[in-house]
Amino acid sequence: MYSGPVIDCDVHHARRSDEELLPYLSRGWREYVSDRGPAGMIPLTVQDGLPNPHGFMRAETYPEGGGEPGSDYGTLRRQLLDRADVRRVILTFGDDSHVSGHHNPYFATELARALNDWTVDRWLSQDRRIASSILVASQLPEQAAAEIRRHAANPRMVQVMLVDNPFNYGFGHPVFHPIYQAAEETGRPIAIHGGAGGWANPPSTGGGSVNLYFEAHTLWPQVAMTHLVSFISHGVFDKFPKLRLLLIEAGSAWLPSLLWRFDAEYKGLRREVPWLRRLPSEYVAEHVWLTTQPLEQSPKREQIVELLSWMNGAERLVYSSDYPHWDADEINHVAARLPQSWHRKIFFETAMQFYGWSEVDLPAAMTAAA
Amino acid sequence: MSLDIGATGDFPERQIRVIDVGRGQVGIVRWDADLYAVGNSCPHQGGPLCRGVLSGRIEAAEPGSLSLDSSTPLLACPWHGWEFDLRTGQAILDTKTRVRTFPVWEDDGRVLLEIGKAQPPTRSGSRQVTMGYDDANACFLMKGGA
Repeated sequence: MYSGPVIDCDVHHARRSDEELLPYLSRGWREYVSDRGPAGMIPLTVQDGLPNPHGFMRAETYPEGGGEPGSDYGTLRRQLLDRADVRRVILTFGDDSHVSGHHNPYFATELARALNDWTVDRWLSQDRRIASSILVASQLPEQAAAEIRRHAANPRMVQVMLVDNPFNYGFGHPVFHPIYQAAEETGRPIAIHGGAGGWANPPSTGGGSVNLYFEAHTLWPQVAMTHLVSFISHGVFDKFPKLRLLLIEAGSAWLPSLLWRFDAEYKGLRREVPWLRRLPSEYVAEHVWLTTQPLEQSPKREQIVELLSWMNGAERLVYSSDYPHWDADEINHVAARLPQSWHRKIFFETAMQFYGWSEVDLPAAMTAAA
Repeated sequence: MSLDIGATGDFPERQIRVIDVGRGQVGIVRWDADLYAVGNSCPHQGGPLCRGVLSGRIEAAEPGSLSLDSSTPLLACPWHGWEFDLRTGQAILDTKTRVRTFPVWEDDGRVLLEIGKAQPPTRSGSRQVTMGYDDANACFLMKGGA
């Protein structure tokens, strides 16, 4: 059991309807999406994800007044914010997070801009405990960088989120670097969310696209591995030495074995990447963090603890629920699986340090009104 | 004990010549006129180091801008690519691992190898190939492996 303060690093908020976003689109784009007569609106979200046989949401998270889970502040407050000593949650969008899966890069860029403004307006204004990711359309990296800089002065837009992969290159590829330059300049971490590379845009996994959600969800960590290896191999952390990376919803127990392999490969293949200055594991130790969910289900508790100990888990992991999704991890589920001595760090302190906050910045619920 | 291993002309620039020494082998390399001698057994997993690639050190200030430091002689093992600095025997990415080196010099047109003063190899890590050195036969003995 854990009853201390919590920072939840992965909470999916949603729109109640398409109409809710329309005022945040420019007049031209509003006209573009809505004036199709009997054909209805142009879809604002990417449509071709793999279906989950259970649905993607916990049944009880559907708001009583209608709308998608995560679309109603009152429901989210009751079910998440006030149910524990939650000091801050980081919003990570819902279906809208797949904005980089849109084929039309200009539309995606406009959607990202509108969604960020909608988030600031409709969510950050409601509760001081709520912070958000900056959504970017990585199809146009320079414009994505401009979007990041547009939010530089808002300290509650706390990180830059990448999900879908428009170019079929690992996220370390130089085509993405304008995004990282802006993130470093503005002091924002990059957050790569599970499903990156992707949901709508193939391939969903290395080796070939998968066909079933069962496969995709099992292989979620593989996508994070691809992007982590790409970041380090392309020298992203040498080029942007202040940049930090958070891998969300990718699990974590795979990291030690990947790093053992990664370091060994570097010793043999240095000639191909002579720009690297350190062992891959040393870059990770300085630049990379992971969220807990979905915590791997080892047969015995001590097995996952040992694996996570290899990566200094208490300092490397930050708690995430993934609310309101079907596979969300409860606080006490995570607490029961990990050593008590790690709890305060994983649920609170490591994330606080990662985002550069102090406890003074994180009021308890009684004083949290916006 | 020093051995006469050949004439100066037998060791051309930037080539490896492997000398049988007792039951072991030593690779002799001439690089920018200087001579280096290393054991022909990689301390990583015991591979035939001297059949690997001899080169300068490829460097890069940033991705894609490769340059060559030709003053640094490196020998890359053909088994797993580990690179060793011939001047010290040091694995360039593993400070705890070093290949055995030997004094080698020229005297009056002959190349001489000192086999009794080798710098012993070192190896880091838990999967260690155990190496021994037989002074009497001036060679390496692989006593076991992982």
